[in-house]
Amino acid sequence: MNDFSEIENELRKLRPAQPSPILFERIEEAMMNCREGAWSARQSRKPSPYNWLSLGFGLAAAAALVLFAAISMEHQHDGGKEIAQISRESETAPLRSSAKESTSSDKFLPAGATRLVYNTRNEGLQFARGSGQPLRRLRYQTRETWQWRNPTTGASLRVSYPSEEVVLIPVSGQ
Amino acid sequence: MQNLASHEDWKSCFSEVAPGLLLFARQWVQSAADAEDIVQEAFVKFWRRNHKIENRALLYTAVRSIALDFIRRDSRRARREAGAISETDEFIEPQFEFEDDTQRALAEAIDVLPCEQREVVVMKIWNELTFAEIAGVLGVSQNTAASRYRYALAALRNTLQPR
Repeated sequence: MNDFSEIENELRKLRPAQPSPILFERIEEAMMNCREGAWSARQSRKPSPYNWLSLGFGLAAAAALVLFAAISMEHQHDGGKEIAQISRESETAPLRSSAKESTSSDKFLPAGATRLVYNTRNEGLQFARGSGQPLRRLRYQTRETWQWRNPTTGASLRVSYPSEEVVLIPVSGQ
Repeated sequence: MQNLASHEDWKSCFSEVAPGLLLFARQWVQSAADAEDIVQEAFVKFWRRNHKIENRALLYTAVRSIALDFIRRDSRRARREAGAISETDEFIEPQFEFEDDTQRALAEAIDVLPCEQREVVVMKIWNELTFAEIAGVLGVSQNTAASRYRYALAALRNTLQPR
């Protein structure tokens, strides 16, 4: 490599052009916007056709409802058996009264249902297949809450989940 | 090991590496503005990932990758610009600051080097990367990087020798 020392020295004397001062400003701005940029990039990511989070919550809520219904039906079924047994052994009055208490204490009654619309988005007009009439597409994002209460024990059960609803409203020309 | 974490750090680091980076980027684009765009994108990406400035090879890898993407993306525009430049003999911003005619001749000789040799010379002389780092950036062996460097210097020396 020593053979090239002279040309290397000549090359080192050549100074590359300096960057424009604007470049520093631009980089500074980019540095400042780093976090904002990353955040907005995440926000503007193309939305999936399915809202997986909502779907997950919805499925979880549905599973909870099914489970609750199954447990409730099982209790009613068991209660019926007890009542039948009690009716066969009607002479044992204390047992019957305790069975009745047990049945009523397991009973949850619907206590309320709310549907909170926290976002509405107008997605514009569209034409359904084969239809000449325009439809306005509205997307509602909601949170639904169902509540049951046991009047005897005062215990309550509440299930809440997010949901999304798309509504098409026909638009008629005036 | 110095990290690019703080606000002032990036400025001092960038002042140090910017001329060499721009020269490196200018191999693929004729316009200084395009080279600055490429360097900006690479440097910001490098900084955001919190790399240490000693890992300069990563910075050059990023510049090279972004520049290649850039010319692929803008190949049509580049062809148009190249055509327009050849037709109008448009002024192209110089890549070096010349002090005399010898330096001007040297810069012109660098311009006509094959790209694979030129990039090694730029990384070695004006960015002071080792052959190991250059080999890493280019994805070649150290021997190949060193050979390209020697061929380039030989060609430059022949160009400048008085006939």
